[in-house]
Amino acid sequence: MNELVLEVKFVSMKKWLLIGVALGFLGLFIVIPLLAVFSEALKKGIQLYFAAFNDADALSAIKLTLVTAAISVPINTVFGIVAAWAIAKFDFRGKNILITLIDIPFAVSPVIAGLVFVLLFGSQGLFGSFLAAHDLKIVFAVPGIVLATIFVTFPFVVRELIPMMQEQGTEEEQAAMTLGANGWQMFFRVTLPNIKWGLLYGVILCIARAMGEFGAVSVVSGHIRGLTNTIPLHVEILYNEYNFQAAFAMASLLTMLALVTLGLKSLVEWKTKKYVNGG
Amino acid sequence: MGISLKEVTKEFGTSRAVDNITLDIPTGDFTALLGPSGSGKTTLLRLIAGLEKIDAGTILLNGSDFSAKTVRERKVGFVFQHYALFKHMNIFDNIAFGLKVRPRKQRPSKKEITEKVMELLKLVQLEHTASRYPSQLSGGQRQRIALARALAIEPEVLLLDEPFGALDAKVRQELRHWLREIHQKLNITTLFVTHDQEEALEMADTIVVMNHGRVEQIGPPEEVYQNPANAFVYSFLGRVNELRGAALRGYLGNTIPNGDEVGYIRPHEIGLNRTLKGSSVPTEVSHVTRVGSTVRIDLKRLDLGHIFEAEMSTEKYRELGPVQKGDILYADLNHIVIFNGKNNTTQPVLENKTLRAAYL
Amino acid sequence: MLKKLSRHRALPGFGLSMGYTVVYLSLIILIPLAVLFLKASTLSFTEFWRTVTDERVVASYKLTLWTSFFAAFINLVFGTLIAWVLVRYDFWGKRLADAIVDLPFALPTAIAGIALTTIYAPNGWIGKYFAAMGIKIAYTPLGIMIALTFIGLPFVVRSVQPVLQDLDSRYEEAAATLGANSMQIFFKIIFPAIFPAMMTGFALAFARALGEYGSVVFISGNMPMKTEIIPLLIITKLEQFNYGGAAAIAAVMLLFSFILLFLINVWQWKTAKKQQMI
Repeated sequence: MNELVLEVKFVSMKKWLLIGVALGFLGLFIVIPLLAVFSEALKKGIQLYFAAFNDADALSAIKLTLVTAAISVPINTVFGIVAAWAIAKFDFRGKNILITLIDIPFAVSPVIAGLVFVLLFGSQGLFGSFLAAHDLKIVFAVPGIVLATIFVTFPFVVRELIPMMQEQGTEEEQAAMTLGANGWQMFFRVTLPNIKWGLLYGVILCIARAMGEFGAVSVVSGHIRGLTNTIPLHVEILYNEYNFQAAFAMASLLTMLALVTLGLKSLVEWKTKKYVNGG
Repeated sequence: MGISLKEVTKEFGTSRAVDNITLDIPTGDFTALLGPSGSGKTTLLRLIAGLEKIDAGTILLNGSDFSAKTVRERKVGFVFQHYALFKHMNIFDNIAFGLKVRPRKQRPSKKEITEKVMELLKLVQLEHTASRYPSQLSGGQRQRIALARALAIEPEVLLLDEPFGALDAKVRQELRHWLREIHQKLNITTLFVTHDQEEALEMADTIVVMNHGRVEQIGPPEEVYQNPANAFVYSFLGRVNELRGAALRGYLGNTIPNGDEVGYIRPHEIGLNRTLKGSSVPTEVSHVTRVGSTVRIDLKRLDLGHIFEAEMSTEKYRELGPVQKGDILYADLNHIVIFNGKNNTTQPVLENKTLRAAYL
Repeated sequence: MLKKLSRHRALPGFGLSMGYTVVYLSLIILIPLAVLFLKASTLSFTEFWRTVTDERVVASYKLTLWTSFFAAFINLVFGTLIAWVLVRYDFWGKRLADAIVDLPFALPTAIAGIALTTIYAPNGWIGKYFAAMGIKIAYTPLGIMIALTFIGLPFVVRSVQPVLQDLDSRYEEAAATLGANSMQIFFKIIFPAIFPAMMTGFALAFARALGEYGSVVFISGNMPMKTEIIPLLIITKLEQFNYGGAAAIAAVMLLFSFILLFLINVWQWKTAKKQQMI
């Protein structure tokens, strides 16, 4: 009898030990850095926190970040939907190769992503002389930043949509066709509503990454204050100038976006679970 | 009129799912495409719907050539095995879908759509579900809605792909009755695919038996059941006992069975007696089961050791007296039908035995 | 005799969507990468070799490789533990813990970089305790490893989690009825089932760490020969307008990443096949 009690106690001890270690690891690596961002941002009081955003350079950084996201995210979203449609709803040879190719930006260092565009459009690049002749600037200017961001955030929407669309199969679309719907009607009335949560999550992830991209943009931007600095680059500048509070204040913006992204992921998972169980 | 198929063929890779089929499906009939998995019946259905494209041949509906028309243009109603209801739309919108996607000129007004949808819901007896979602309905209810949705576009042809395959046995029974009733009310040419021969025999006006992409026989249920054209049809419909080789001795007259032949007899065609009569075979009872109002007896031949099954009504069983395991009974196999494995040759007809020439 | 019409598919839009996909993929990804290899090839072989075998470059290769490897390994162990705890146990705050695992995925790398540096600097939240003991974390390879561990954390967890969740408890129950204790059940039944996922997660974390820039560049101190990672070297070459040199180093790194990616895919394909046969 005593043995049984001891055994149960041992099992539950083991369980709590494991939970403790796991949570400790998470706490150390994730919670503490999170706290650090906000604590440093608010270190000198809340007034100074908001003052950080009044700065002209800060504002232009925010503006550039938003513009970059506003261009690259819709482009990659359209691509994501189209590519997911081709891959998830049809069978064809070379599908796996295509999927692997789409995954390339994940395997490539962001610095290399920036490098390729410098090699293409930089002054010594492939199109360098052409651009100079027409007084067009891509590298060290906004277009370069947008291109690098598109490269880096390329797979996000596709990868979210493919498993979702594959799981849903093609029967509803076939049914729509037998009922007389044309291709667009079928897509907008049947396919799109079924993927809306996954699409939303993919887009939010894409936005978060587009706004937070550092390495690729760093290479391509030229770090021209007030012109070609995004929020992460601006954070770097402030940090290197030892202006920690302002740096973290800017950082807190993107951190909050990251937290929203996480919240949305939980929401999407909850919603899709509802569909799976019900339908 | 109705659906006409001429030399229709469909290949997937190197295999022919549908092999040169020429078939006329009568208008207004409730026709079953019956066959085992891989027989091509679902492919044939999908070819008629336009969900697959034919590799050769033509499909005519009421005389007009459908072969080149897309799914949309064919206006066939299709019911899928797993319903394929639009899960993010409520029941009303599901049924109204076909009407709402019509080009503007042909689209009915909102009022007309509502009327039509409610009319269909009434037909399938699910008026109260209009604002619910598919996930809230049972399997049987979903399939009825799927049918209502297909009927909304007033199709000339109704196609059903193993519509009850995903449902419980009891629900299946209920829906069989119900579907027949609907068909009688509406009188639309209906074609449904099933691998369940009981279902086909029970529901269809005409059965098309398929195997390996070909049509083995087409005819009303009684015809196909009682006068099967070949061994496959015989063995696929209803329960059968199969006899080969030595078991056929004595039923072929002077010819010695050479292994090509196969004989079939249905359990209820076997007569059992306590005493030897004519050419009846001595057997030993190995098992007795009561199934509903019939009794099934498993018998073992004393000469060859094969086991086969006999079936009789409870009254006839009572006439035999209580039967126990180990009892000796004499089985009368006179109603055996033998297929000789060669094409179109007839064997001499012997007393009470029929030989049917057929291709196996 | 049978006229083979162009492969008809039930759903529309295949041609259009495939065409668009391939074109966009080529423009954004394939052509730019091709240009990189093209540029690297403009170097003569001796120049190329000299660039990539330069002392400083080799030091950075080594540093990048072993810090990434160890960081991925730490994530292998703890990531599996976290996945286990999240799937098998219930506790207050579990959903929150599950949600924040993805933070390194959603948080910009630069922010992670400055946050971690602030924490582990000699006067930082945690760094100061270690400084008192004479151990430096920030501006050393140890700091780099911590940053790379942060970055790779979600990969192992998210690889192992679904496999653990889908694991049919019936196998364990069968083993228990046959007399196995929980250690045996873990090592003989559970571990083999999650091992492929663990390896996938490890490889992904490793690949990610290799290319990481933003979170490392702040905490590393960027001392040549000591704490300089490959991406930084590439940037240095670029700033010197040594495009060819930058391309050369990048090409070597890319090749390695592609081989890794290829191996991951092959492994996944092979284990999927093996499991199908069961």
